[in-house]
Amino acid sequence: MSFDRPKELLKPVRRRFIYLSFALAILFNLLPLPIDSVMWMPDFIGLVLLYWIINQPRRVGIGISFMLGIVADVVCTGMFGQHALAYSITAYLVLLRQRQLVMFNLGQQTLAVLGLMLANQVIMMLARMATGSSFIGWAYFLPPLTGAILWPLLTKLLLLPYRHHKV
Amino acid sequence: MDFANNPSFIRQGPSPATRLALCVALSIALLVGDSQYGLMEYVRQGMSVLFYPVQRALNFPLTAGRRIDDFLTTQSTLQAENEVLRRQQMVLITRVQQLEMVEGQYNALRTLNQLKSVRPDAAGGLAEILYSSRDPFSYKIVIDKGQDSHLQPGQPVIDDRGLIGQITRVQPLTAEVTLITDKSLMVPVMIQRTGLRAILYGYGGGVELRYLPTHADVKPGDLVLTSGIDGVYPEGVPVAVITRVERTPDAAFVMVSTIPTAGVEKGRFVLVLNEKTKVPPRPAERVVPQPKKPANSQEDSTE
Repeated sequence: MSFDRPKELLKPVRRRFIYLSFALAILFNLLPLPIDSVMWMPDFIGLVLLYWIINQPRRVGIGISFMLGIVADVVCTGMFGQHALAYSITAYLVLLRQRQLVMFNLGQQTLAVLGLMLANQVIMMLARMATGSSFIGWAYFLPPLTGAILWPLLTKLLLLPYRHHKV
Repeated sequence: MDFANNPSFIRQGPSPATRLALCVALSIALLVGDSQYGLMEYVRQGMSVLFYPVQRALNFPLTAGRRIDDFLTTQSTLQAENEVLRRQQMVLITRVQQLEMVEGQYNALRTLNQLKSVRPDAAGGLAEILYSSRDPFSYKIVIDKGQDSHLQPGQPVIDDRGLIGQITRVQPLTAEVTLITDKSLMVPVMIQRTGLRAILYGYGGGVELRYLPTHADVKPGDLVLTSGIDGVYPEGVPVAVITRVERTPDAAFVMVSTIPTAGVEKGRFVLVLNEKTKVPPRPAERVVPQPKKPANSQEDSTE
């Protein structure tokens, strides 16, 4: 089944590549897209972050999640700290169950990622509501769905440079 | 807590729970600081400046595409657009002209209306000028009020700046106004600065002050008002402004040129005033002794 994780041995991941992927995710969030697309565009920073926490928990942890959250706050022009809070909490949740998550096949992982991204949105919404905003509607929970759909593709993409043999 | 990829014999700094607690505390501090006190504005500004070039770079393909699209607009599109715009411009110009005309009329009406409410002697309300007479020798206009508004010959007519003339003939629905520039109209006036009385004569197309002695105190720029002595015009209505004073040693009188202050030959709305009412009664006729009629006159009559 194509959803199975590759059983082959992978090259070690370079730190440079991790940072590059984060930069690309930030750029994706900055893309000048039509204003309606905010409704369904997935949070690329969150997705890439989840990928690296699941696969490289020694390198990417709560601290980096927090820093990326600050960057995401500026990029998304949101409230300062909302992404940081959400990312640090989800990072912790991932680290709790990292050993299981990394063994899941892609389908199971997708479900887990969906749950984590939803947790992200819930935390951010709670933060906004605690600081005085009103409930902004269920459409706010659409981006995690698209993000989860993109998860297998993202996994394949980020694995590409580390295969020993070209398929 | 036990973590994968985190062998227990390697100390890796604070435990994840501690880190989480630290980060959550920091985030909440940031959230509160940002939402309640706006503390993070400077940080946000700084970081947005950092991100600005990136954003511009990402926007570049989009703007470049738009530029190229602009550049490649075809000749026919331009021509069609040009034509449409020109037509629109024509329509707009006519609209603007109409508007300016309406605005001018509105202003004139408004000032006249104010004048009417201020003057107690206004009669018949505002009148509109219908046309000016075709006779080149007389200076007359026809207004759209007549017997229906109880106008009578002899009533003065003014506009918002001064005296225009006098009603000389009244028809059922219209009335004829002889302008002060007409040759047959004379207005008793005084000079505002000195109170000097004079008579303003129309000479067909203009007005002038006649029969002032050479030593009379008149200067260019003096305002000429109606004096109100005649029983026709109310006193104090501006009539004309002196433009030129010529004193020639061999002439008995000074030549004084004036121009009317009112829009005598322009404007569209005028106001008819009542004749002055507080006129002292005529002195009683003196009994003039009749000359004796000669006898032959009777014969003539009988003839």
